Amino acid sequence: MSVVQWFAKCGFAAGLLLLACGVATAWFGNGLQLPSTTTRDGTLITLNRYVREPTPDVVLVGSSLTVRLKEEYFTTPRLRNLALAGGSPVTGLEIVANQPRLPRVILAEANVLSRPTDTALVAKYSSADSARSLFFRPIRIAVAAYENQLHAPLNHAQVSSSLRQLLNRPPSDFDNRIYVNRALQEWNAEDPAAAVRMNVTRLAQLIPAIERRGARVLFFELPCSVPLEGSRFAKSTREIVHTAFPDPGQWLHIDYARGELRWADGVHLDERSAVIVTQSIDKALSSLPGYP
Amino acid sequence: MTFTSWQFGAFVAIVFGAYYLPPFKSFQVQLLVVASLFFYGYGQPELLPLLAVAVLGTYLFLILALRNRALWLPIGIAFNLLLLAFFKYKFLFIGPPPLGAVGLAPIDFLLQLPLPIGISFFVFHNISLLVDLTGRRDGPPDLKSVFLYIIFFPQLVSGPITRAEMFMPQIRPKYFEDIPFVGAAKWILTGFFFKLYVANNLNEMTSYMDFPLYETLQTQDRWLLVFLYSYQIYADFFGYSAIAIGLALLFGYQLPINFNLPYISISFSEFWTRWHISLSTWLRTYLYVPLGGNRHGAFRTYLNLMIVMGLGGLWHGAGLGYLLWGLLHGVLLVIERPFLARLATVDSAVFRAARTSVVFICVTMLWIFFKLPNFDHAAGYLSGMFTFSTNPNPPKLFHNLALLYSLPVMIQHLVPRSRFEQLLGGAEPYLYGLMAALMYLEAGPETSFIYFQF
Repeated sequence: MSVVQWFAKCGFAAGLLLLACGVATAWFGNGLQLPSTTTRDGTLITLNRYVREPTPDVVLVGSSLTVRLKEEYFTTPRLRNLALAGGSPVTGLEIVANQPRLPRVILAEANVLSRPTDTALVAKYSSADSARSLFFRPIRIAVAAYENQLHAPLNHAQVSSSLRQLLNRPPSDFDNRIYVNRALQEWNAEDPAAAVRMNVTRLAQLIPAIERRGARVLFFELPCSVPLEGSRFAKSTREIVHTAFPDPGQWLHIDYARGELRWADGVHLDERSAVIVTQSIDKALSSLPGYP
Repeated sequence: MTFTSWQFGAFVAIVFGAYYLPPFKSFQVQLLVVASLFFYGYGQPELLPLLAVAVLGTYLFLILALRNRALWLPIGIAFNLLLLAFFKYKFLFIGPPPLGAVGLAPIDFLLQLPLPIGISFFVFHNISLLVDLTGRRDGPPDLKSVFLYIIFFPQLVSGPITRAEMFMPQIRPKYFEDIPFVGAAKWILTGFFFKLYVANNLNEMTSYMDFPLYETLQTQDRWLLVFLYSYQIYADFFGYSAIAIGLALLFGYQLPINFNLPYISISFSEFWTRWHISLSTWLRTYLYVPLGGNRHGAFRTYLNLMIVMGLGGLWHGAGLGYLLWGLLHGVLLVIERPFLARLATVDSAVFRAARTSVVFICVTMLWIFFKLPNFDHAAGYLSGMFTFSTNPNPPKLFHNLALLYSLPVMIQHLVPRSRFEQLLGGAEPYLYGLMAALMYLEAGPETSFIYFQF
């Protein structure tokens, strides 16, 4: 086989596979949910879905604390959780604000406001088209099709009985002392004041602009374990946010039996506790004036 | 400039285009030297003077050693080892100083310089040059050839470590019609495929091995990730070496093969003839043999093995983890050595498979010290592999994705090459085409080559 023949055959095979993936992408779109191998992937899946699907009624934005509140735990219909693991609520709020249509209610977590806005992510999801790619990834698509067939995303009706069983069990006795001590050390070492003030300033600009378009933004605070609640990071953040947004009407008040809550690491709610908190958010949402 | 960047592609295209043009026919070596300097200085121009000092210093000692080998060869070697020690190992003994700590501007400047990329590789080239060329009666090579041997860009950053006596005779005029295009393309495509498709995708999963993320893992996932890292580090370094070999072929140079299916080794000594072959060969030639090798009885042989493997570990990085990794490999070599002859007499496929499994599992477990050079972190990871995890929120790893991304390494190792070629028949170019498309479509997130840090 001559060199030219070898390269022609090689180029033909490469071109054929690219063409097949390009045609398949154009035909089927980027709709299939890809499996996530990192928490960042999980974030992108959620955001891809948000910009592609009809605008929901309620959206949560937040950090990894809010990620634990899975959408299927909520009874509130048409609710999306856009919280970003390792990210900032401001990033989520910017992305929501940049969409042509807004949800009726946006719930913004106020626990972690020290991280900068992910401007690359905001730019990527500024419009629905920007999240699309020319070719899909054949291996991931194959795995996604398989995974979606086996483990399709669940809705509340499908998981309600298992959630009831979970709630009937006693709270977890997982020994999280090592993780709590480590988190406490970090949260006491860090002075978030300057970063929180910067984010609060941005929130003070974004929220009126969003509310002028008919949506309502409400802050909420997720509970952490007692030592973490008293840390320098938590106290400083709480003080700055409540000073900047003192109106009780801007806050979603959620009630829960604190003694029932547990944290895997002192910061992030475990599964049972996340269900308890989502139930209280459901209740608080349903009692909002003019809602549903 | 990394091999996987578009800038590197443009750089290679321009240099390759100029290299065979008639006006450059007489300046091919000079062109490659200038291109290599540009490649090295692209991201860190402040390190170019250091590279120049290393090469010019080595050349000076080479000239002197050709007159008086006994005196100048050890000094030349010491000069290179001091360079390596200063840049790579000084922080083993002193902490990173604040700016202007010493007060003498040149020393402060040197102390603040980052670790020069590829220093471990070009220092070994320098030593090889001094030892090989002063052992012959030939006259000194010209400076441009010395420069090319040491800084030839495909091998400058991460090898393969080419011996001077193998490379220097290849420095002669090169002709376009002699280029083995298909051979070069096969190496380059294979290299990029292993890096982009296998290593970069597996890296996404093995990032869960980092501290403190690994504490969220389930016990069985800790085991899985160690094996995935074993595949990743092979795909990453084999990929780099394959690209380097392919690129060198385009410019008319043959670099040594650096990997030969290391995970099918039936003994630890065989593993080191198949993994990072150019480093093993260098250590054997310039360290193990001069130390006495196996010529002075069993005890000295074991001691020499431990010294070589310990230093080989430290060569990778200034850390207890790397030293321990090398020493543990040394221990394995020492333990198996008395039994090798007896084991070789057992002619059974099952027994060979069992030996391969033992070697693979041991080698894989030791990669933990590579992934987590901090000893406490590595020990924490290891202990978690033998205790049941009660973490209520473990991350989900997709086992089918792990398998699909590891598959090329498994097929390469488990299907004999002759059988594979027989199965392929005339379809070989189509396979390389599919690999090319797949490495573009399915490339994992960009990460630098693991061996760049060494």
